[in-house]
Amino acid sequence: MDREAFAGFYQRSAPGLRAYLVRVSGNSALADDLLQESYLRFLCAKQPEGGEVNYRRYLFRIATNLLRDHWRKPKHGCLEEVPDQFLVAPDVSSQVDLQAALGPAMARMRPRDRQLLWLAHAEGYSHQEISEITGLATTSIRLLLFRARRKMAHLLRKHRAGDRSLV
Amino acid sequence: MTFRTCVYEKELRQALKDGHWPAGCLPELREHVQACASCSDLVLVTEAFQQARKHSSPEVPQTSNLLWWRAQLQRRRSAAEQVSRPITVAQTFAWAVSVLAALVSAISQYHHGLRWANWWSEVAPLRLFHLAPIVTQNLDWNLFLLIPTIGGLALVGGVVVYLVSEKS
Repeated sequence: MDREAFAGFYQRSAPGLRAYLVRVSGNSALADDLLQESYLRFLCAKQPEGGEVNYRRYLFRIATNLLRDHWRKPKHGCLEEVPDQFLVAPDVSSQVDLQAALGPAMARMRPRDRQLLWLAHAEGYSHQEISEITGLATTSIRLLLFRARRKMAHLLRKHRAGDRSLV
Repeated sequence: MTFRTCVYEKELRQALKDGHWPAGCLPELREHVQACASCSDLVLVTEAFQQARKHSSPEVPQTSNLLWWRAQLQRRRSAAEQVSRPITVAQTFAWAVSVLAALVSAISQYHHGLRWANWWSEVAPLRLFHLAPIVTQNLDWNLFLLIPTIGGLALVGGVVVYLVSEKS
C-alpha cells in the first residue's frame, strides 16, 4: 500500500475504528492512542489480500488485540478475573455522540460484551467475521452475543422507561 | 437464561443491516417482532448501535502522513536488525570458539606442568618448516591446539573483514 492509498484508506476507516475503540474502552484519549498504534501495526505487518474489506477487518483485529493487551496489563490483572464493578467504563456519551441511552447502558456492560455488540450491530459483522477479529469460537460468540444483547436491551428499556437508577 | 434462535432472526438481521427495517419488510415480520422477545431485542439493540455509529464523531486525528513515515522507519529498523542478526550470531560464535580454545589450551598446559618455554622450544622455528615430524610425533597435542585456534582466528577474521568492508 503506497502513501496516497493509505491516506485514503485512513480517511475512510479511521472514524469507524475510533468509534469502536471509544465505545469499547470508554476512554477517548486511550482510543486515540490505540487508533494510532493500530494503523502503525497495520502498516508494518503483511497486509491481507482481498482489498479494503479485508484490510478493515484486519485493522479491527489489531485494535481488538491492543484493547485486550491494555486490559491485561498488571494494574488490571486478568480480564476474566476482574469483578464487574471495576470494569464499568466512564460514561463519555455526552462527549462522543447524541445517544442518550446507549452510553450509560454500554458503561454497564463488560468490555468483551461491548466489543461483540459493537462489531455485530454497529459494524454489521457476521459471527464468522467476529470470530476472526476476536479469536473467540463462533459457537461461543453466538451465545455470548445473545446474552449481551438481552442485557443491553433490558438496560435500554429501563433507561427509556425513565429509571434514573441506571445513571 | 435460555438460548434459542428465532427462525425470523436471519431475515430480520439482514433487513436491519440493509436498512430495510421496518418500511421494507412484510407485515408478517413486523407483527412477529412485536410478539417475539428475541427479535424485539435484536431490533432495539441494532437500531441503537446503528444510530450511535451514524452519530459518532467523524473527526479523527489527521496523522496519516506521520503514521506512514513512522511505519517506514520502523520497517527499516526491523529490516536492519534482521540483516545484522547473522553477523551478531557469527560474532558470538567466534568469541565462544576463541574463549573455548584459550581455555582448552590453558587446561592442557596446566596438565603439562605449565611448561610454556619448553613447549615453545619444541616448536622451534626450524621445525615449523618441517611440519610432518611435528605432526607425527605430537599428533594429539598439536592438532588439539592448532585446529580450534585456526578456526577461531578464521571466524573472528571473517567477521572483522566483513564489518570493516561494511563500514567503508
